[in-house]
Amino acid sequence: MNNGTSSAVNQATGPVFRGPPARTSSKGTMGQDPLQEASHDATGTGNRTSLDEKRDKINTRYPGEDHSQFTKFKSRRSLAWYQDQELQVVGVITAVALVVRLWAIGYPTSVVFDEVHFGGFASKYIKGRFFMDVHPPLAKMLIALTGWIFGLDPSFDFKEIGLDYIEPKVPYVPMRIMCGLMGVAVVPMAFYTVRNSGHSLHAAALAALLVLFENSIVTQSRLILLDSPLIFFTAWTVLAWVNFHNQRHDPFSDDWFIWLFLTGVGLGLSFSVKWVGLFIIATIGISTLNQLWTLWGDLRITPRNWVNHFIARAFCLIAVPMAVYMLMFEIHFLVLGSSGDGDGFMSAPFQMTLGHSLQDSPLSVAYGSTVSIRHQGTQGGYLHSHGSNYVTGSKQQQVTLYPHKDTNNDWIIQKRDGTVPEDLEYIANGDYVRLMHVSTRKRLHSHDHKAPVTETEHHFEVSAYGFDGFAGDANDEWRVEIVDHDGSDAASGEMLHTLRSKFKLVHANMNCDLFSHKVKLPKWAFEQQEVTCMRSAVVAKTTWVIESNQYDSYPEDVQMVNYKKPGFLSKFVELNKVMWTTNAGLTDSHPYDSRPSSWPWMRRGISFWGKDQKHIYLVGNWFTWYLSSAAVVLYAAIRCLLFLRDKRGYHDNAGGLREYYELSGGFFFMAWVFHYVPFFLMGRQLFLHHYLPALYFAILLFSVTFDLGCRFIPKRFRLVLAVLVVLTAIFVFRTRAPLTYGSEWTRPECEASKVLTSWDYDCNQFPQSYDQYASYAATAGDKREEQEQGYERDQEAEEGEEYDQLLEQAVPAAEMQQAQIGEDTALAQEEQSGGAYASDDSQITDASVTTDGQEPSSDSDIDDEELVEEA
Amino acid sequence: MTDMAGPSENTTLRQRTTASSKPEYPTKLTEDVEVKEVVTSVFTPAEQKQSLTVLAGLTVLALISRFYKINEPDEVVFDEVHFGKFASYYIQGTYFFDVHPPLAKMMLAAMGYFIGYDGHFLFDNIGDSYVTNNVPYIGLRALPAFLGAMTVPIVYMTLREAGYPIVTCALAAFFITFDNMLVTQTRLILLDSMLVFFIVCSIYSYVRFHKTRNNPFSVQWWTWLLATGVSIALTTSVKMVGLLTVATIGVAVLCDLWVLLDIRRRLTMQEFMRHFWARAFALIFVPMVIYLFWFYVHFAVLTHSGPGDDFMSSEFQETLHGNTMADGLYIKYGDNITIRHKDTSVYLHSHPHNYPRRYEDARISSAGQQVTGYAHADPNNIWHITSDDPSNPKTGEQVMNKDVIRLLHVSTSSWLLAHDVASPTMSTNEEITTYSTEEDGSRLNETTFQIMLDSGGDKFRTMASAFKLIHVDTKVAVWTHPQKLPEWGFEQQEVNGNKNILQKTTLWWSDSVEGKDAEEIEQEAAKPVKKRSFFLKYVELQGKMFSHNAGLTGKHPYQSQPIEWPFLTKGISFWTQNDTRKQIYLLGNPLGMWIAAGGLAVIVGIVGADVLSRRRGYYPLNQDVQRRFYSATGFFFVGWALHYLPFFLMGRALFLHHYMPAQVFSYMILATAHGFIFVEGVDAPISEPGPEVRPRRLQRAVVPTLAYISAAILAAIHLASFLYFAPLAYGTSAIDVPGLARRRLLSQWEFHFAK
Repeated sequence: MNNGTSSAVNQATGPVFRGPPARTSSKGTMGQDPLQEASHDATGTGNRTSLDEKRDKINTRYPGEDHSQFTKFKSRRSLAWYQDQELQVVGVITAVALVVRLWAIGYPTSVVFDEVHFGGFASKYIKGRFFMDVHPPLAKMLIALTGWIFGLDPSFDFKEIGLDYIEPKVPYVPMRIMCGLMGVAVVPMAFYTVRNSGHSLHAAALAALLVLFENSIVTQSRLILLDSPLIFFTAWTVLAWVNFHNQRHDPFSDDWFIWLFLTGVGLGLSFSVKWVGLFIIATIGISTLNQLWTLWGDLRITPRNWVNHFIARAFCLIAVPMAVYMLMFEIHFLVLGSSGDGDGFMSAPFQMTLGHSLQDSPLSVAYGSTVSIRHQGTQGGYLHSHGSNYVTGSKQQQVTLYPHKDTNNDWIIQKRDGTVPEDLEYIANGDYVRLMHVSTRKRLHSHDHKAPVTETEHHFEVSAYGFDGFAGDANDEWRVEIVDHDGSDAASGEMLHTLRSKFKLVHANMNCDLFSHKVKLPKWAFEQQEVTCMRSAVVAKTTWVIESNQYDSYPEDVQMVNYKKPGFLSKFVELNKVMWTTNAGLTDSHPYDSRPSSWPWMRRGISFWGKDQKHIYLVGNWFTWYLSSAAVVLYAAIRCLLFLRDKRGYHDNAGGLREYYELSGGFFFMAWVFHYVPFFLMGRQLFLHHYLPALYFAILLFSVTFDLGCRFIPKRFRLVLAVLVVLTAIFVFRTRAPLTYGSEWTRPECEASKVLTSWDYDCNQFPQSYDQYASYAATAGDKREEQEQGYERDQEAEEGEEYDQLLEQAVPAAEMQQAQIGEDTALAQEEQSGGAYASDDSQITDASVTTDGQEPSSDSDIDDEELVEEA
Repeated sequence: MTDMAGPSENTTLRQRTTASSKPEYPTKLTEDVEVKEVVTSVFTPAEQKQSLTVLAGLTVLALISRFYKINEPDEVVFDEVHFGKFASYYIQGTYFFDVHPPLAKMMLAAMGYFIGYDGHFLFDNIGDSYVTNNVPYIGLRALPAFLGAMTVPIVYMTLREAGYPIVTCALAAFFITFDNMLVTQTRLILLDSMLVFFIVCSIYSYVRFHKTRNNPFSVQWWTWLLATGVSIALTTSVKMVGLLTVATIGVAVLCDLWVLLDIRRRLTMQEFMRHFWARAFALIFVPMVIYLFWFYVHFAVLTHSGPGDDFMSSEFQETLHGNTMADGLYIKYGDNITIRHKDTSVYLHSHPHNYPRRYEDARISSAGQQVTGYAHADPNNIWHITSDDPSNPKTGEQVMNKDVIRLLHVSTSSWLLAHDVASPTMSTNEEITTYSTEEDGSRLNETTFQIMLDSGGDKFRTMASAFKLIHVDTKVAVWTHPQKLPEWGFEQQEVNGNKNILQKTTLWWSDSVEGKDAEEIEQEAAKPVKKRSFFLKYVELQGKMFSHNAGLTGKHPYQSQPIEWPFLTKGISFWTQNDTRKQIYLLGNPLGMWIAAGGLAVIVGIVGADVLSRRRGYYPLNQDVQRRFYSATGFFFVGWALHYLPFFLMGRALFLHHYMPAQVFSYMILATAHGFIFVEGVDAPISEPGPEVRPRRLQRAVVPTLAYISAAILAAIHLASFLYFAPLAYGTSAIDVPGLARRRLLSQWEFHFAK
């Protein structure tokens, strides 16, 4: 099936991939499809000289036009700053940006939206208490640093939306300004990104101004949130990459290296803010591959030289970002040195580095020793029992998993017949044992009753059973099966060794394994984790280790073991894994979440805050937004059309413009795709503000489109057109600014501002006219206040709802725990309530610690015991 | 078939050097001229005969491997639970619901029908005996087994048509014959046998079609194009993964069209569009018609109410004989009805107790009368339905969709009301309460609700109508969720107003009209079975299949991740018998699959090396070899990738056997990779010559002895591995404990009876 002409055609284009040497070097391809280049070449256009000729032709056709911007980027350093028109423009725009972005940044004077989380993390950093969050630490540390410098009192915990900042003297203004300044910096960077891509001053200024007057970006950068740093570092990376690309004719020069290195640093920093920084890594990565591909096809470049290119890029774009990312975690670990509410997410060795201590225990385990047994598959803690009974099933004493050290975690290992041999007898793989709960003198027991919560056929209840004088029965017998062991200690595969042998406990009668998973028991069992005996369970969830081991009969010189404190790398890897699984588990719905398909047309915004008849609602500047979306669609359509036309032998070159459009436009388009499309694959809850980096690139793409689209009209019209676009954008921005700044507004203006009916900010909360704000303040009487309070809470709850719920549930739960079982120490209370929420985007993250008994979706646990596939 | 001298061992491979390489245009003859005969095949008759012998031998082996002791086990195995049951339903005409399209199940049912099975057995549990239940299971199994065996010769012929020497074709066919997973999966009453069979038919037809491309619009060309269309339609009618096959063919067709579009092919746009429309007709329109046809048959056969009713809308259910939906009473204004929540089956309930003024969390309520969800029948569940206009209660008129109504709680004589006060447990939702008729009527607009019927036509009925109650004033839907109120609410379920009115959980239905006399019910109930257009039924069923398939996220002990499949790190326990310690454990041929995975890696390496070196101006491959490599192996590779990678995006529970189609491709790739390494040159040309194609010199592949030896070694390894694991695939004999331990090459394989 290979004769005929098809492959001959491919062959025809084959050789030109190499390109004549003179051509390839002059044409950088950035974000450009190699095929495209090939077709260019195949049609005999597009080498440097002919391009210049075309350019000259255009110049003669439109005399008086300045097409110098058309030439490749030149260093403009030679001019003094005050002579440089460009700098003047940038200076003015930046000054405007400072005013617009920082205007009344002190309002609202209370906690807004996700400041709950990121402000809260700042307090924790200052306290040095370990916490868990799904985002990498950089931006949070910057916020914390600002707070620390300006004297943030860490006892302020940003607990709920609407909490007052003024009274506790929280330095929230500097913290917001820090984020705000990063937002301001994006504006000149947008300018230079477009300018240095070889576009006109108009286009660059247009891009900067559109970014400047974009309501959603402004809203997002005025508050203590992560998105402003993220966009800042993303924009920075792209600017550095554009500058690097401009050095391509001078490889391995100082400038070349500096910009390459700075790109790498930018990548690392973006990725250290949020994992969506991965998208910019992908963008730069593809662009790099494209460059390397071009270089590889350039036969003047020797393989050795190519390898140099490769290594330089690999170092700067892989090693540097990784180093930056890890450095951030190193700082994170250094700052968070003590135990905090994030402990419960981490493994026991990790917790050892947070000030938890564990005494050394004897290595070998003998019958008669008192042990605590830790579950390996979850961070649920120790096999535990206490003097309360199940209210379901057998109504015998509860056996649970409990995360904290406690005497109720102690079990004595007995022989199969319930005795303890006089001499020391060590436990081997395959031995049958009984486990006697020390404080209640009952034995670990399982039988044919349904498990308390997981009522499927493969789970059986595990209880503690027995009474004085009762010798026990066969349902107390468990077989120790070592499934894994520490490689450094070969004997721990055969003999049960503390910490080093990972074992299953198999119930002798029912052939099921002692099992636990992230399912909480109801309140009657203090919401501790469920323990069952399960058949056909995954091994990970049935694995246990002995963590402590005491027996008076051990000889003095017995060999002792303890956890090895993990080094930085293993801590780093563990924390990132936990972040990943937690992040994937964020699948609950939120009143204001949205799917990516609705973003480019901005179907709906996010309500951030509302109080005193004022409202902050995240919604974009529809004019800018729709122009940018249109530019994206237009770009895709034009490229497809050109692609097809090339194949049919039409050579559209548009006087050399095409190359520019494909080069810079192509790069921004690719960046947009990478910052947008991957969200479709994410199952977790998403919000409109996840689109903002993509929006940034769409705006850049629009300015490029504008520049090239206006290339053939006289300069003054171009200017007029640009001014018109900017003025419209400013007008649209201005008319919706009250939602951005949380300032006074009236109901009619609000109603008029809704372009789409699906924008669900409630206009009824604004008064009919501005003077009612004054009277509102005056007439606020007692009763009114009470009502208002209810209303506020309602509003706040929109954001912090789950948080509130959780808090309500968690605190009583912990109290009850302490009241009812005294042994469970007071430490538990704090940890229980605090550890309950780690957060992202105003959402409780880890279902495993919420109290509603949901199982996190990422859990690889077996739940559905049907042995038949559901067809 | 032309008698032509086998072109010669002395034909040296044309080694194109870098310096002389030039783009080659089909219209220009640059080299390789001088052959004038019209050839239809590059293979000699002797070789053809030899090939047929090999083909026959492999087919026999395949039949043996599939039919060996097909009567064992005589019990229900794994998913026979489902597909056997569905066959029974077809035979009995009972409506059922399944996420897969109907073809394969209908084939099984037809098989059962022809061998005289009456569909009495429902295959309820794994391990149920066929013998005691008198089910002709051997006949039912024979169909998948036969198609499973036929996969082998088709794969052989596919590779043969693609121009590979006998040894390559035989190697691929042999690997497919003796793969444990293919054997296990195709000798049971399952769908995958049909699926794989139709997939390989599609590939075969497309290869044949591609070979006729120099004579476009000829009879042969149309035949094979249509055959491709029919095959992909049948594949998709078996399981929706057939769409991946459609994608594979689609990619190939797009590449083909892309080449035709090239200006240098000198096709005018009209000619090009003719090509385009021909393919669109055969590969889009025809398959759609066929696909829909099976659904037509499906609806035509399943005419009686059955276990699938509940999945469907009430309009649909009314088309089935013996469905209870027909019992629905029309509800008129002035009727007293009970209202139940669809999801949680509680009644909308109210009682003369009020919400506390202040909740535990200090929020404030209206202290109005409680409205709750109550699970039991109770006089407090009765609501009187009336119009929104107090002056015109419309008593006796039919309640229609989108009517605005008010609901009067009969025993406390108060109106159902929603208002902008936070509900007891959810501060984002509105409180629902009632409002006594004795107070003045100023709150009329807060007590009006709009009925939005979700299904069941325009008239509000009991049973058949699922509806939402949308509060007119504040646009919330009356909703309840399994959150119990505290003691003050008697631990009944909370009812509140949900702002997200699109949620499916806001649906309610009315289950009875109080005091309707039996006679009236009788009169209304006697309704004939309704008709409904095929397309409406189809669209509804297809939608349900998709949403249900996506919803199969429940965890299963034997589910696995796609990344595990090529490495076979997990199997599936299909069936066990405690008495005899026999078991069937679905597992591929471990060594074979690992070798195949290696083959895939080799292919990727070759492509990488070739692309990179060509970019540097060095052409390592003979042009014909390269073309064959990309057009044949490349095509199979696309097939493998498209039948495998999309699973990474699927959220539903996945199993090892989902890899089967990709596995067939991987064996084909392995064979061609073997050929690439050991066979020198290729047989070319193999496509049919056309009027506009220049004649080319024939090239013959040279198959050295080493190729036979290496193929034999691979085959031997594969066969040995197959036989070693065969007891687990067939379940015909028990293996002792040490034997199982030995076979447990990977610790994740959890065999039963291993202790």
